[in-house]
Amino acid sequence: MVTRPGPAARVGVARSILHYEFDGAIAGFLEALGADVVLSPPTNRDIFLAGKRLVIDELCFPIKVFVGHVAHLAAQGVDRIVVPVVVGHENDRVFPCHPRSRLADIVLALGLCDRSRLLTPAFRFDEAGLAAGGFRQLAASLGYPAHACAGALAAIRGVAEPQGAAAAEGRKTLGLVGHPYVVRDAWANSHLVARLERLGCRVLTEADAEPIGYAPEGTGLHFDLATRTLTLARRWDRSPEVDGIVFLLPFNCGPDGDIARHLIETTAKPMLTLVLDELRSSVGLVTRLEAFVDLLEREPAVARGRSR
Amino acid sequence: MNHFTFSWGNNYIAVRGLLRSLGHDLATPPRIDAAIVERGIELAHPFLCFSGKLVLGQLAAQLERGDQRLAFMSSLGPEACRCADTSEYLRTLFAGYAGFSAHRIGGAGFGSALSNLRSHFGTTVRKRDGLRAYAVFFGKVDLLHKVDKRCTALRCLSSAPEQVRALERETIDRIDRAAGPIALWRVSCRFDRAAARLPLRDAAPSLRIGVVGGEHILSELDSIMAVVKGVAERGILLDWRSGFRMLARASDGSLAPLKERCRPYLHGAPSTSEIFSCAHALDFVEEGYDGILHVYAFGCMPQTALKPILQRVAADAGVPLLSLSIGDRFAEEGLENRLEAFIDLLRARKKKGVSR
Repeated sequence: MVTRPGPAARVGVARSILHYEFDGAIAGFLEALGADVVLSPPTNRDIFLAGKRLVIDELCFPIKVFVGHVAHLAAQGVDRIVVPVVVGHENDRVFPCHPRSRLADIVLALGLCDRSRLLTPAFRFDEAGLAAGGFRQLAASLGYPAHACAGALAAIRGVAEPQGAAAAEGRKTLGLVGHPYVVRDAWANSHLVARLERLGCRVLTEADAEPIGYAPEGTGLHFDLATRTLTLARRWDRSPEVDGIVFLLPFNCGPDGDIARHLIETTAKPMLTLVLDELRSSVGLVTRLEAFVDLLEREPAVARGRSR
Repeated sequence: MNHFTFSWGNNYIAVRGLLRSLGHDLATPPRIDAAIVERGIELAHPFLCFSGKLVLGQLAAQLERGDQRLAFMSSLGPEACRCADTSEYLRTLFAGYAGFSAHRIGGAGFGSALSNLRSHFGTTVRKRDGLRAYAVFFGKVDLLHKVDKRCTALRCLSSAPEQVRALERETIDRIDRAAGPIALWRVSCRFDRAAARLPLRDAAPSLRIGVVGGEHILSELDSIMAVVKGVAERGILLDWRSGFRMLARASDGSLAPLKERCRPYLHGAPSTSEIFSCAHALDFVEEGYDGILHVYAFGCMPQTALKPILQRVAADAGVPLLSLSIGDRFAEEGLENRLEAFIDLLRARKKKGVSR
């Protein structure tokens, strides 16, 4: 295919890991620049299977989903595909996990697209989100002038933080914790929110909480998203309106796997840990959700008094 | 009261040297055996890397024999892996052991290392005490690295591999007993003289295999390295350039040329282990090695992320790559079978004169 460099290019963005982590900031920035942005569709079985076929078994479930999205974009014939390289927090104390920081390298190694087609701006982040340097790199690599970049940055910074729709009242209120790319990706989490709502529960996500920042201080943890998981779980644990916590743990996720035990043992409220993997049967999931909600309803005192 | 730590191969000897310089001592970690492996698997979250499980099993065994004060050397910088979150994790996991305490030693630069030493051993630790302690630590780390690498090569090159093993054991004991930099220098000179006197094989190595991978798993599990090093005694030159020393001495300056070397395959994300493995694999390719052996712990995030990239490196160069993932249910027999098959493949390629 012929690559069209410059502002006229069609630029693909994967609706996966980094898109959810950064609240769509990269796609929003590109649109504000005036680029022709192609966002991959919401995750579906075909996208996942495409990623699973390409990626080694041991990598975590979300990486397989991500690679499936990039493969989809590559097949759509977009001119460029953005796969940011996330370097770390501006404070140099909090970092992304290794597979997430190596997404661009993995995409190249798998031969999904050649180097000239891949845009790999390096981003640092702080409490508020992505720092400006990566956006400047991205704009420059597409041939946009500095003033256009500044305008696009101002446009996305002016957008209000995304908030979840007001959660409906329910039998019990549950707080979800987990990485944004599994909490917000309905296929990846097996439509968990809808399933819980069908059980009559009110479901709160990070979007319903006071903003906790991209990588909250004070946890002492090394990995960015683990700091977010721990901080939000603490928030739900203290909140009087939350009856129980559902922790979504992607298969083979190192950072959240490491804190899983600590999280469970230091959380007073009942917590259900759901490992999200490639086995897509919903039967076991539904049974566990029903059992958890029943536990909260029938024996709230026992659940509250749990001392683990 | 004795402190304790995990073994990391023989590198606990360097930590012991550091503590002894400060007037403390370190217990000898128990050898990792099947019981320790099982204990680690039982204690750990399933997603924890296998190296982490070995460490947990070994620490639990030491707590059960009555040790209380854990001194662990781990990094907090951008190069760190999940070991950076060890402290909180260990406190939760071992909260049931009376008197358990965990002390991180080391740091990013001498200032933070000294501060850590003072927070654990008291403010009476003077700057010069800290300098001496770290001089001993790095001296031992360097010498352990040198002995390990040289003896691995000598197992292939010497006609008396049993003498090589004896020299290695004897030198490691001497390193452990050496009290300061001058004593270490003497041990090093003695080792060089003894190594030079070893008889050599007449034939050149039949194959050369470069080893890359997780520093921890390659150092920690004796049985794995025993199998891998056994290959050397069959006349195959093994070269493993990474290890604890590389991690302990990593700095922006030392990593910069390696990162440059990896530029065609790795973007500039922070890391250390991946950089070493990728750069060394590229070196092995360039130096005409017959194959690359990638050994890593199941669940190791840096090495797992690197695996597809190494596969690309090997494919681009036309060099065979064997990736061995060591996990909860690894068996030495399986390891030997896979290594033998790999060696057979390399021999067949060499015999047929397969070019890259």
